[in-house]
Amino acid sequence: MDTLFRLVSLHQHHHHHPQAPPAPSSPDQHHHHHHHQSPYSSRSTSRSTTSTGSRSSPASHHTHTHHYYPHSHSHYNNSSNSSGSYYYYYDPAAGAGGGGGGYYYDHHQPAPYQEECGNDHGFYMDEDFSSSSSSRHFHHQPSSAAPPAAPANPPPASSPAPTPPQPPPAQSSAGGHGGLFEAADFSFPQVDIDLDFSSPASSSGAAGGSGTAAASASSGGGGAGRWAAQLLLECARAVAARDSQRVQQLMWMLNELASPYGDVDQKLASYFLQGLFARLTTSGPRTLRTLAAASDRNASFESTRRTALKFQELSPWTSFGHVAANGAILESFLEAAAGASSSSSSSSSQPPRLHILDLSNTFCTQWPTLLEALATRSSDDTPHLSITTVVPTAAPSAAAQRVMREIAQRLEKFARLMGVPFSFRTVHHAGDLAELDLDGLDLREGGATTALAINCVNALRGVAPGGARRRDAFVASLRRLEPRVVTVVEEDADLVASESDASSEEANTDAAFMKVFTEGLRFFSAYMDSLEESFPKTSNERLALERAAGRAIVDLVSCPASESAERRETGASWARRMRSAGFSPVAFSDDVADDVRSLLRRYREGWTLQEPGTDDSAAAGVFLAWKEQPVVWTSAWRP
Amino acid sequence: MLQGVLSRAPATESPAAAAMKAKRAPASPDEEEEGEGRPARGKRQQLLGLGSAAAAEGPETRGLRLLSLLLRCAEAVAMDQLTEARELLPEIAELASPFGSSPERVAAYFGDALCARVLSSYLGAYSPLALRPLAAAQSRRVAGAFQAYNALSPLVKFSHFTANQAILQALDGEDRLHVIDLDIMQGLQWPGLFHILASRPRKPRSLRITGLGASLDVLEATGRRLADFAASLGLPFEFHPIEGKIGHVADAAALLGPRHRQQQQDEATVVHWMHHCLYDVTGSDLGTVRLLRRLRPKLITIVEQDLGHSGDFLGRFVEALHYYSALFDALGDGAGAAAAESDERHAVERQLLGAEIRNIVAVGGPKRTGEVRVERWGDELRRAGFRPVSLAGSPATQARLLLGMYPWKGYTLVEEEACLKLGWKDLSLLTASAWEPTDAAAATPRRGSQET
Repeated sequence: MDTLFRLVSLHQHHHHHPQAPPAPSSPDQHHHHHHHQSPYSSRSTSRSTTSTGSRSSPASHHTHTHHYYPHSHSHYNNSSNSSGSYYYYYDPAAGAGGGGGGYYYDHHQPAPYQEECGNDHGFYMDEDFSSSSSSRHFHHQPSSAAPPAAPANPPPASSPAPTPPQPPPAQSSAGGHGGLFEAADFSFPQVDIDLDFSSPASSSGAAGGSGTAAASASSGGGGAGRWAAQLLLECARAVAARDSQRVQQLMWMLNELASPYGDVDQKLASYFLQGLFARLTTSGPRTLRTLAAASDRNASFESTRRTALKFQELSPWTSFGHVAANGAILESFLEAAAGASSSSSSSSSQPPRLHILDLSNTFCTQWPTLLEALATRSSDDTPHLSITTVVPTAAPSAAAQRVMREIAQRLEKFARLMGVPFSFRTVHHAGDLAELDLDGLDLREGGATTALAINCVNALRGVAPGGARRRDAFVASLRRLEPRVVTVVEEDADLVASESDASSEEANTDAAFMKVFTEGLRFFSAYMDSLEESFPKTSNERLALERAAGRAIVDLVSCPASESAERRETGASWARRMRSAGFSPVAFSDDVADDVRSLLRRYREGWTLQEPGTDDSAAAGVFLAWKEQPVVWTSAWRP
Repeated sequence: MLQGVLSRAPATESPAAAAMKAKRAPASPDEEEEGEGRPARGKRQQLLGLGSAAAAEGPETRGLRLLSLLLRCAEAVAMDQLTEARELLPEIAELASPFGSSPERVAAYFGDALCARVLSSYLGAYSPLALRPLAAAQSRRVAGAFQAYNALSPLVKFSHFTANQAILQALDGEDRLHVIDLDIMQGLQWPGLFHILASRPRKPRSLRITGLGASLDVLEATGRRLADFAASLGLPFEFHPIEGKIGHVADAAALLGPRHRQQQQDEATVVHWMHHCLYDVTGSDLGTVRLLRRLRPKLITIVEQDLGHSGDFLGRFVEALHYYSALFDALGDGAGAAAAESDERHAVERQLLGAEIRNIVAVGGPKRTGEVRVERWGDELRRAGFRPVSLAGSPATQARLLLGMYPWKGYTLVEEEACLKLGWKDLSLLTASAWEPTDAAAATPRRGSQET
């Protein structure tokens, strides 16, 4: 691929003299540009032949990775900038400091230009202010007229002071601003939030700041100390209170500060702002569809795999659940296989047949280690393993089918290598998981199956909450399959609007919105924070994970709960559902617990294993915590 | 409109034919609004022609898709079709990446800027945010990024070297110097000047710098560092910080300082200004011109970006896309480069270039106001009673040495009229110029009638 620059340059070569068609004068344009030269007509006199040369392609990974353990942590070398100061040393800390001079303010109005300079030279009135950029798209009532420009008295130094407005020229107000937001003039600095921009700056500083540890310690995973969390919560409250002027001001601030490519605060601001924007324009489902379609079009097996493997390599977020679930599945299978061979000697010619119903969205990254363990730990005959994996898709997706075909081939190849008799089936299921026809899956393979395991990794939240206790009903339907073991891994966040399955009316109240927004912000702050600290600064895989989180955020903030597959629940809440469906928890064996602990030691500091609190008698499973905040819950159950 | 043009132009057509075809497409009333006197339409259609023709070429598909999507999105914004623009943004974001090849990187920042622009258009709120705590954090980041930029690209050094040489050349023999830096930031430029002044047989009797900036804290820290450095060289030095913008300074005497009256006879004043789009430096361009006219400094040194800041949105967008594509191209791809290097490049692109792109794409352009602004400072300075001082001598030599010293390939240096232009593969990026007051008595003929 060549550069955009060369493409543009190349093209200019063909068209040295663009003839702009004469256009009639628009009433909004007062200053004509009589001698404005085309930037292209004079600059590009010869076609540039320089190319950027060939780029080395990254080394291809052709082994199917079947280890969960990262080999090194060498990415975290925040070496300081060695090439910077050309003339003299610059101390980045020297720029910091508090107090100091007054807030600079000037309410000088620009003088009308024509009086001074005539109109035959290089001034130009930007017509942006005169014709476009209406705000008519909002559904809000017009806010009351913005107050007049503040006088020149500086606001208190401690309070954030939005920039003094430099009002657009008079004609702007005559344009398309009669919409739901007046053209804003934020001269009212009454945002009663003390924003601290200092600590996160170091983690995103230019050349490897040294304050990362301190910053992350203070900000934690929770987002409480983050400016983004403060502003976003204020903004959400204003949305709930329908205070459109405040919404406008806070969204303006967030928009100025946000960036999907910035530090954790800026990313949170960017993705949650996108959600709030979609909510305010009642375009949540549409925005989500557009985002998902764009992601789907550009997803390949390679990119999907790279992202999943990198995530496993650098963070225990997914591997934690895999290791624990595989441990529980393996133990129950070995038990079942031993029981089968001892009880019926007649069928000993046939190896036991194990079946996993895999309800998860983890692209089968979990299974190679299980295959390996089955091969090495089975006493005599290696049992036959069938996997039926259900791939949830919002809509039939060519990309998902491509990816799963490739995965199936690789898994089958790997099973042959391991000597495990294996069959694999993919079921693409569009829509809510509760509508999956479990009986139609023939999980018993006509009665041949010795033992069935159901593996639910981030799957149960795919059953949209809502009336008729849909989640309880789905868990009960799993119970009817009479599995030997059910492993449930879920991200630990309380994103269902009310304790019992809420009716959809209840789920859409302002209180429910605030609850989900607040908890979503907490959870995704921890997630983004862990990604930021686990991945190198420039990582496309991290970007892909963040974008996926961004889609979940849009779903949570702007889409109805009844259509959502992102409404996570806490581990405690899932445990209650499992128990009430007739399951009882299986404690992880010491072996499995040791595996999980040794897994966590392979990652950077900050990850810990947490037992559920003793205050909830229904509790089960264990939690993965990032900086003491539980983020992923894993558990095993039997009927 | 744009998609229509794209789909009507068969991929097999030559770029020229496709562009010609595009040009014949009937203009809608929407389009006519934009282009008064501006070649935006022509430019856009050229780019379109390119897109449709080269799409058949294969390996460049991703870059071309991004180019085409960015232009479609910008056109939707220009026509106030914000819903349509929003539909295009996710595709741009997915194809682009701030960590990819240079087309992916530049597209990532333009996509992000368009996203911010769409939201601010909905909100009807355009002005930049100026929070005190934010300003300090930003100023630290920008300072760090500037240092990284200084190491990765010759642009910063070019600006410093050229202006310093112009100052030394014009003020040869002066022994009281006063430099007014309209946007001093960390003052990275001045130690170089100090060094040369100190190495001369006759050191200046006094050396003052007046620095303007948004934060007094930052200014004072800069002043302390400069004072320390001057002291280590045995130079007399004073620093005068002014918190504010030059265009808002009402009185020229405030710039000259309290000892103005005693010193004005023998003190030579230089005004220096390195342009960028990170924020609005002048506050008011017209106020700045008025002030310079009254101040009549012995020399004005300016380094301008060869990038139009005014004009309609689409023209500005296309021109900036071209300009920043060159800058990102110049920073290289180097996917396999050392992690530290790509981290630094990322910091530069995000803190500096990406921030500039956001401002350019924002409503109202870099100033974020509808205020009239100076497009070509040379013309304005001529009218204000200044004439260009040739940089052909020692500044050009220095700049040439600079480019020779580093392994940067693709940068070009051109002397044009009295100015020096640093370019990348024939696209001029920066123009350095120096100006002195036109002496009314000595009717020297003006050098050069018109600069570009």
